[in-house]
Amino acid sequence: MVTLIEIFDSLASGVIAVDLENRVAFLNRAMCRRLGVKAEDWVGRHAAELLGLIAPRLISAEEKFVMRLGWQQDPEAKLSHQLEWKTDDGIVHLREDSGPLRSSEGKLIGRVFVYHDISREKDIDRMKSEFISVASHELRTPMTSIKGSVDLILSGFAGEITSDAQELLEIAQKSCDRLIRLINDILDLSKIEAGQIKLNLARMDLTDIVQRSVRGVRQIADQAEVNLRVHRPSDLPQVEVDKDRIEQVVTNLLSNAIKFSPAQAEVRVDLTAADGWVQCAVVDAGCGISEKDVPKVFGKFQQVGEKRKGGTGLGLAITQALIQEHHGKIWIESKVNVGTSFIFRLPAATG
Amino acid sequence: MTLSRVLIAEDDVDIQKVIRMSLKMRGVQEIVVTENGEDCLAQLRNFQPDVILLDVMMPKLNGYETCKRLKANPATSGIPVIFLTAKAQHFEVKEGLDAGALGYLIKPFDPMTLHDQIAALLQKK
Repeated sequence: MVTLIEIFDSLASGVIAVDLENRVAFLNRAMCRRLGVKAEDWVGRHAAELLGLIAPRLISAEEKFVMRLGWQQDPEAKLSHQLEWKTDDGIVHLREDSGPLRSSEGKLIGRVFVYHDISREKDIDRMKSEFISVASHELRTPMTSIKGSVDLILSGFAGEITSDAQELLEIAQKSCDRLIRLINDILDLSKIEAGQIKLNLARMDLTDIVQRSVRGVRQIADQAEVNLRVHRPSDLPQVEVDKDRIEQVVTNLLSNAIKFSPAQAEVRVDLTAADGWVQCAVVDAGCGISEKDVPKVFGKFQQVGEKRKGGTGLGLAITQALIQEHHGKIWIESKVNVGTSFIFRLPAATG
Repeated sequence: MTLSRVLIAEDDVDIQKVIRMSLKMRGVQEIVVTENGEDCLAQLRNFQPDVILLDVMMPKLNGYETCKRLKANPATSGIPVIFLTAKAQHFEVKEGLDAGALGYLIKPFDPMTLHDQIAALLQKK
C-alpha cells in the first residue's frame, strides 16, 4: 500500500505545511534536500526559524513574500510568487504557490507551501526574448534601406522619374510599408503571447479612449464616406487599462468596420455598463460574417470573405490577446448582409 | 528650426547614405558620418555638431556605451544625442534614454520627416 508520505516524498517540488500557529507540520524530502535539513529535526518548530534558513538564500527584496507568517489574516488567499534561490552552483528560479490546508471535514487547519523549480521555463523565456530582439533588429535594418531609398526617389530628390517608374515605385513603397506593419504586428503578438508586454495601467473613462480612436480614424472614414457615431450613457464607470493598448484595440476594430462598410453607411460605437463590466461594441452595417467563418475571425492570418482588404491578418489576433491581458472578453455577433458587432468587455474599476 | 551640423554614427553603409540624403534634402550643411562609437567620439575633437545620431549595434563601441561616455565627459555632455536604431523593444528604448539620450527614433524611419522629427526633439529640450 502506497502512503501519502511516500507520494509527497517522491515529488520533485518542495512542500512545507504549517499549522494554524505557524508550526511546521510537514516537510517533504525535496524541500529538506533544498534546505539541507532533516524533517524530523524541524516538525513542531516555528516557521519563523525555517524562514531564517530560507531568507539568506534569496535576494533580499523577495523575503517579504516567502512563507508569509501573517497569512492567517487572509487564510483563503491562494498566492503565487517567483523567487531566485541562491545555490553553490548558481541561481535556481522557484515559484512558491501557497493555499489553505484543510482537514478531511473541510476545516482550516493550516497552510501549505509548494516550491516548483521553474529555471527551465525562465531559460526558455529568456531565449524567446532574445529571439524577438534579434529578429526585430535583423528585419528592420534592411527595411530601413529599402524604404529610405524608395521614399527618397519618389520625393524627386534623385531627379525626375517617368510616370511608369513612379507607379512601380509606389507599388514597392506600399508593399514595403505593409511589410513593416507585418513585422511590427508579428513582434507585437509574439511579445504578448510570451507574456512580455508591460501594461501601464491607469484608471480612466473608456469614452476618452474611444474618442481618441475616432479622431485617429476620421480621415479614413471620410475617404470611405462612412459616418462615425459614439453612444455612451452619462454614468459610465471607469476602467483600469493601458490607454495606448486599448486605443490600439478600438482603432483596429474601427478601421476594420470602416473597411468593410459600404459608402454612406454608419459605424457606431456603443458604450454600456452592467454587472461589473464596461462594454464597448463597434457596430457596422457591412456585409456580415457567415456562421462558419465566425470562429476563424480571431485566428492569425485569417481574412474571411471573398476579397482581401489589406491589413496584416494579425490585427484581430492582437486585439483579442490585448483584451485577454486586461482580463476582459471579446466576441462577435454577425448577420450576413446586415452587419457585424465586435464587442469587448473590461472589468469596471472598483474601490 | 533648421539643423546645420550633424554627426552620425552608423555602421550600415546603405543606411548612412539614406540618412545623409534625407538630411541634405532639408538643407543640412555639414554631415559627418562615422562607422562606430569610437570613431564618433574621436571625431568630436574637431567637429562640434548640433546633434549626434547614434545607431546601437556597431562594432568596437556600441551606441549605448558611446552615449554614456559622451554624457560623462564635460566637453561633450551638452551635445544632444538621438538614437536612430532598429532596437525597438521597450527595454531597449529605456536603456537608450537612461544612457542620457534626448530621444529615441526607431528604424525603419521616414526619410521625408527625419529632419523634422530631430528638430522637434531638439526644440522640446
